[in-house]
Amino acid sequence: MGGGLMPIISAELVHAGGKPAAAELEQQLLSGQTLLSESADHLIEVVDVLKSYGEVLDAYSINLIFQAEQQFLLPFPLFKYLDGDKNPAKIWRHLIHDRINFEYAEYCMKAMLWHGTGGLDAYLDSDAFAANCAAIIRRKTRLDPLLALLNPLFRGFLPELIRTAATTHALGQFWRVMSDLFIDLAEAEADGRVASIDAVVEFIKDGLVAAAANPITYGVEVDGEHFWVLPPEAGLTFLVDVAVPYVEAVFLRGMPFLGTVSFNAQAQQISPDQAQFAYGALFADPLPSMGAGIPPSLLMQDMFRHLPERLHQWYRERTRGEGDVRVKICMSFQKSMFCVTNAAIRGTFPQPLNSSEPAAQAANRAYAAAWASRLATARTDCLD
Amino acid sequence: MLSLLLLIPLVGALSLALWPGNPSPGRMRTVALVVLGLQLIWSLLVLLRFDTGLSGMQLQESFVWVGSIGLDYRLGVDGLSMPLVLINSALTLVSAICTRDINQRPRIYFALLLVISGAVNGAFLAENLLLFFLFYELELIPLWFLISIWGGANRAYAATKFLIFTAVSGILILGAFLGLALLTGSVDFSLTPVTSERLAMGGQLVLLGALLVGFGIKVPLFPFHNWLPDAHTQASTPVSVLLAGVLLKLGTYGLLRFCMGLFPEAWALLAPGLAIWAAVSVLFGSLAAIAQQDMKRMVAYSSVGHMGYILLAAAAATPVALLGAVFQMVSHGLISALLFLLVGIVYRKTGTRDLSVLHGLLNPERGLPFTGTLMILGVMASAGMPGMAGFISEFMVFRGSITAFPLATLLSMVGSGLTAVYFLLLVNRAFFGRLAVTPASDAVSDGRLDVRLAPVAPRETIPAMGLAFAVVAIGLLPSGLGKLSEAASTSMAQLPALVAALQLAALHPWGVG
Repeated sequence: MGGGLMPIISAELVHAGGKPAAAELEQQLLSGQTLLSESADHLIEVVDVLKSYGEVLDAYSINLIFQAEQQFLLPFPLFKYLDGDKNPAKIWRHLIHDRINFEYAEYCMKAMLWHGTGGLDAYLDSDAFAANCAAIIRRKTRLDPLLALLNPLFRGFLPELIRTAATTHALGQFWRVMSDLFIDLAEAEADGRVASIDAVVEFIKDGLVAAAANPITYGVEVDGEHFWVLPPEAGLTFLVDVAVPYVEAVFLRGMPFLGTVSFNAQAQQISPDQAQFAYGALFADPLPSMGAGIPPSLLMQDMFRHLPERLHQWYRERTRGEGDVRVKICMSFQKSMFCVTNAAIRGTFPQPLNSSEPAAQAANRAYAAAWASRLATARTDCLD
Repeated sequence: MLSLLLLIPLVGALSLALWPGNPSPGRMRTVALVVLGLQLIWSLLVLLRFDTGLSGMQLQESFVWVGSIGLDYRLGVDGLSMPLVLINSALTLVSAICTRDINQRPRIYFALLLVISGAVNGAFLAENLLLFFLFYELELIPLWFLISIWGGANRAYAATKFLIFTAVSGILILGAFLGLALLTGSVDFSLTPVTSERLAMGGQLVLLGALLVGFGIKVPLFPFHNWLPDAHTQASTPVSVLLAGVLLKLGTYGLLRFCMGLFPEAWALLAPGLAIWAAVSVLFGSLAAIAQQDMKRMVAYSSVGHMGYILLAAAAATPVALLGAVFQMVSHGLISALLFLLVGIVYRKTGTRDLSVLHGLLNPERGLPFTGTLMILGVMASAGMPGMAGFISEFMVFRGSITAFPLATLLSMVGSGLTAVYFLLLVNRAFFGRLAVTPASDAVSDGRLDVRLAPVAPRETIPAMGLAFAVVAIGLLPSGLGKLSEAASTSMAQLPALVAALQLAALHPWGVG
């Protein structure tokens, strides 16, 4: 308005973070430095956002396992988000949306199923899996006339639903471990065992390594008989067969959001090669959170419901306070996901980092370089 | 009763100017708000006393002021001026409400605002040509100050341009009024229509021509619109609200009251040409708006287009078209004020109005989502979406004009379609997509920028919400306003219709049809 006021310069309203080069990121990984810079603020953000994430993942995990086990091949799973509790009060809370957005868990499951990398996906395409499916479908179609009608018409339909259920269950098992790990992390930070970003990364790495060999199995009851979908003899394990594909599908590749890029093939804004996708959690733009067509908004809302008071207060003191809290949660979440990625990379170096053998060093360098080249185009601006 | 509509703001202005001591800007604003609140309440009381069944002037007050030159203090209100008085009271209050953080000469600022409001009331209520002219000129100088003191960086240029254009407009109008006295040989400056018996057609055409250009500048109509975009761009938001919402209406009011009302015969003769002029103005305003990069200039050019509808309706002069013209004056006042308020909020928060720079302001948490929502409502109303004020007025203008001037009406309808084009461009560029307030250099690096705009406080949007509510209310319940103006617009329509019938009879003395 009138004179005497300082004019607003648009450029002052805009903040650009750094964009470290791939070589710099590679060096950080090899030297054991954390990707996220050390600071007291970062520690609060990462630990507290992971704590709320842990609580949300607990609910997601319980629900995914419930869906895979109790809603298996149900044609109309109306109550799939209720975890078997059909109490009218719970249904009411569900209807007025006083609930966790389990849709986001399914969205991540679909990302894993669609990108289909790693041991789990390989097993889902194996003959052994096909044989299991055939047995399950035989028994199931005897009971269910609708499925009995659909199965001969669409041969691929029920096996695909079983693959979906298997991925759902595997993701549920993965998140069970991660949920406990993140809540343990918050406890460790509260009692002083974790006091730096490096300690956070180390804590998560230890948790991942400890769970690395956990078997991933999945069986269902059909008409009182137990069938294996992912049997123990398939030899699927936590880290290689589920965690790594999850990171690939959800952290790195992801799926483009409606309204942010053109889905029109002629616009060529989306690579026809799925492996080139870079829309995952580490690449996503936090600013449009809560906009239409941005599925992670669901997760941000869920984490907002479980936000620890310390972080909530921290947010209230910054930018728009409560007004843009979900965008800030998304920014903190992105930082914490860099820490988780950092821990996963640390835990999966082919050779010990302190090895002095040239061959081991070369192998580690190649591994770090491969990661660094992918991370160089991610939202590394949040790491400063 | 009507004199208080002048006295309240003018006495308010005087007391602000003479307020003892050195009161704070906030105190000045409060006083102005109280005065304008009183003015609005009094306008509503006048509305209550207003008899919608009467077509002529009501609640008249008069005394002879300077009888020798024909200057009578004669006030009255009819269905044409009543809605405009209400709009004036409401929008001046809105512009005082949205004047915040004024720390430069607040005393003069608010006093000038009140002077303008009182002068505009005077112009709308005056039943004497010279009295109208006095008030018409009285509003000019305060507005020049408001632009040239509290305006943007280029305010001196814009204010001077405004002054020159409007002064020429004033001279032409005064010239026409005095010319009328000279040619008719009487100093009767009342609103009595001038017939051929009093003045030959040639003289009527000359005087009407001067009035048309004079009011055409104020409206503004192409090609006299040049001052408006600059004035709007440099004026602060409250002044733009007043300028678009109220002051332009002096021009359209003049067209209806003085051009058409005083010279119905010459008006009927010129009507086909005026309709084409209206269509040209509509199309020019719309096309120019499409080309704008500055949001405020775009809204300003849209005014040029939308004021053209009123000339079209006046040219057609059917009862429906004239009622449409009144509706268009009210709805344009509300809608353009709403749009300028919203552009003002965008400018205050982002420091720019450049459409090549602004993006994604609808961003739910970091942008200006509620402002964007109101903006979408405002542009839909402006583009004539059913359910809002713009639709009612445009529909009536077109419905009332299409039989008289089908080509000009169809061309004006194209202009209405173009409104959707430029305002969708505005909304699409500034409000959709990824949030940005700086020029795009590289898609990837721009996509990484964190944008931290200050939030819009609820109180900042309250005036805009009030206007948006009025826009929807008139759109859904137009009958109230219709009833208010129907009698007046019907009787106004009878003037040229009567003239046309007489001409027809003169051409075909043996009687046809």
